[in-house]
Parts: sequence; structure tokens; C-alpha cells
Amino acid sequence: MFQIGFGDAGTIIAAGRLDAAQAPKAQEFLDAVTDECILDLGQLEYISSAGLGVLLRTHKRLMSNGRGLKLINVNRHINDIFMYSGFDKLFEIEAAV
Amino acid sequence: MRQEFGRSLDNLQTIVSFTDQFFAQNDIDDSVRYIVDLCVEELFVNMVTYDTETDADILIEMKPHAHGVEVTLTDFDVVRFDPRDVEPVDVDAPLEQRTPGGLGLYLVSKMVSSIHYEYRNRTSKITFIADR
Repeated sequence: MFQIGFGDAGTIIAAGRLDAAQAPKAQEFLDAVTDECILDLGQLEYISSAGLGVLLRTHKRLMSNGRGLKLINVNRHINDIFMYSGFDKLFEIEAAV
Repeated sequence: MRQEFGRSLDNLQTIVSFTDQFFAQNDIDDSVRYIVDLCVEELFVNMVTYDTETDADILIEMKPHAHGVEVTLTDFDVVRFDPRDVEPVDVDAPLEQRTPGGLGLYLVSKMVSSIHYEYRNRTSKITFIADR
């Protein structure tokens, strides 16, 4: 089960499992975002390479306008995936406390 | 434990349920769960995406191994594709040079303790160990 939507103060909240089957849903939602945005991953349990592709595609599009995607509340497992993928060098990332 | 799955991304959730059942029945450290989930998904999706000339189900087998899990995915009636031969991804490249895609098998190679590939009689068999 994967869900994505707006939370308080315009933050986007992603929750559940972002796998290859759910990536199109995430991409469709994020394609509508045009401003710099904060993506709260505190409730995201899992992400695979398909989900990473969604984040990268969105970040590149937003960065072309000088904006970008900031990832917050990232759990340890997902942070490991970001490190392996080199995303820690591409995104502003805040780990969960 | 073994089960066959149809060649559809819609079956990813069923595979997660299968893995839930395997972990519930075996005393395996939860720390390897993410590795198993990710590697099974990446290999399964790769088979579904690129081995399109067959309708055969994909067999997934899991068994306890030392401090982790041994997982085998078997794909029938397909051409040879050794996931170990894939070019590595330059994860140090700047944003403008990064493109979506290609990360799946790279992540598998980084996260497993070992990976083995066998191809015989048009059957591809990938076995990996996920360990603490």
C-alpha cells in the first residue's frame, strides 16, 4: 500500500511501500508539483529503484528552475539506499531522529 | 518455501506477503528483511521487464542460510542474462549526468553477500545470500 498527498504547510507526505507497481502513482502526483518542495518520508517503509527514479526525475525537473526536492524524516533503511545510490550527494536529506 | 508468481508487477504485493510468511516461520534477523525485499523486487522486475518472450511464471524459493536467507529466482524459457554483467552506475556523477534507471541491479550487487547465476536449458537461475 502506498499513499502520497499534501500535509500541513504544503509538505508532501509519502507513506507505505514505493515499489515498481506504485511508482507511476508517485510520479503522476509529483509531476504536478512546480515549486520547491519538501517530501516527508517519515511514514515511507520501503523504496526500490523504481521509487528512486521517481525522486531523481522530479528533482532534476525542479532543479532546472533553480528549485529542488528536500527529503526529510528518512528512516535508516531508506537512508542506506540513498547512500548506496549516491542520492546523499544529490539531494538535501534529513534523517529521522 | 517456494511459490510461483505470474509475470506482472501487480504480483509484487503478493511476493511481499510470501516473504512475510517466510520470515514469520523462520527465526531470521529482521535486519536482512529490507535486503531481501529490495533484491527480490529488483530481480523479479528485471525478469518481467526484459524476458518478454515467455508467459511462464517465475519461481521464488527462500530458505534460511547461516545468519540470513538464501533466495533463488528461476525464470523459464528465456535467453541468458547474467545480472552480474551489468555495467556499474557512477553514483558520484553530478545531478545533470544522472538518469533514472539502471540502479536496481547495482543496488542488488551492493547489498547481497553473494550472488550466483546459472543458465541451462533456457532456464535462468539467480541465487543470492542476504546476510547480517
